[in-house]
Amino acid sequence: MANIREIQGRINSVKDTMKITNAMYMISSSKLTQARKKLADTEPYFYALQGEISRILRHVPELRHHFFDKREKIPAEERKIGSIVVTADKGLAGAYNHNIVKLEEEILSKPGIHKLFVVGELGRHYFAKRNVEIDTNFKYTVQKPTMHRARDISAVLIDQFEAGELDEIYIVYTRMENSVQANAEVVKLLPLERSSFGEIKMPLNMYREEIDLYPSADAVMNSIVPNYVTGMIYGALVESYASEHNARMMAMKSATDSAEELIHDLSIAYNRARQAAITQEITEVCGGARAQQKK
Amino acid sequence: METFGLKIIASDKVFYEGRCRNLIIPAPDGEKGILPNHENMVIAIAVGIARMEVEEGKWTEVAVGTGFAEIVNNRVTLLVDTAERPEDIDVRRAEEQRERAEEQMRQKQSTQEYYHTRASLARAMNRLRLAQDKKWNI
Repeated sequence: MANIREIQGRINSVKDTMKITNAMYMISSSKLTQARKKLADTEPYFYALQGEISRILRHVPELRHHFFDKREKIPAEERKIGSIVVTADKGLAGAYNHNIVKLEEEILSKPGIHKLFVVGELGRHYFAKRNVEIDTNFKYTVQKPTMHRARDISAVLIDQFEAGELDEIYIVYTRMENSVQANAEVVKLLPLERSSFGEIKMPLNMYREEIDLYPSADAVMNSIVPNYVTGMIYGALVESYASEHNARMMAMKSATDSAEELIHDLSIAYNRARQAAITQEITEVCGGARAQQKK
Repeated sequence: METFGLKIIASDKVFYEGRCRNLIIPAPDGEKGILPNHENMVIAIAVGIARMEVEEGKWTEVAVGTGFAEIVNNRVTLLVDTAERPEDIDVRRAEEQRERAEEQMRQKQSTQEYYHTRASLARAMNRLRLAQDKKWNI
């Protein structure tokens, strides 16, 4: 049995760690409430935007626009693929970062010239070690997502897309299904693809007619698409932010719980050791006294 | 009078949902009015002031950011990045935003930054215009 001092030291260190995990749990849960509210406010916009774009694409089939240009002439090896990767600023969030990194690795394993736009410190460190090209001017944090930040990000990407520096743009983020379930997801932002909007469920019994685009299809698309990209990025940032705190909260909760369990076990061991020591002392005293009596 | 269903969704909230008699929105080439039973259409929206008549003769003004309006089967959906009532606009913040944008405009910047600042300036001016119009009315 380990000695009392060792066990005592162990208990104290676990207690200290528990203080940290518990504090992080509290922080995350308070941030999660804010993030949830933001998410609830944004969700109608986020989903309506996807729905409307898909509807417009369905009704205006002959649309030719540079945002739809798949640039098929460029062979797969020479395609410049950009991905926005939304990770957390720090770890300690269970599998949250790991899932994102894994998805991004899948994209990286495909042929093409990859370029990463990483949001979040942790992802930046990870991919910096892996010798992938990272846009170094792209320094955004994931804390408190704002529309302003989303506008900045989308301006950079659309600019590069139009200049031909990027042929495809993806965003890798975590979507919150419900309060316990969050899934890492890849969404193709540009070029727009009809098929990628196919899964959105629309009421079938609704009668849909031809839709006119005003002032012209081009002008509408020029206004809608950058908006759509910004909206998607903003939505993705908010979803990720909420999922991150949800993941961290759960991770910290289970860490605190297992710390409590550990302390419980350790304190039993400690008490046993203490009792054993006392018993031993008593035995020694008794033994000593008896030896004296016999004299 | 006939009405149509109107839904204004901003990026941070559902701004309005209900019936409307008459809606005027800022398109890139000028204002455009929408009355009930309008033809199905998608219209781009520029930064500006939209007006809606919810009750007879009662107009509500809304400062909107870029986005688009979709009219299908007498239902209008406005998807804009921002939508604010005059009373919700923080004049001081808008003023600061304008000053910041103007400051940036004076400096040398890339084309991309220039467009960015210009859009930011347009939003600030738009907010101020709506907030100040309101002030004079009182």
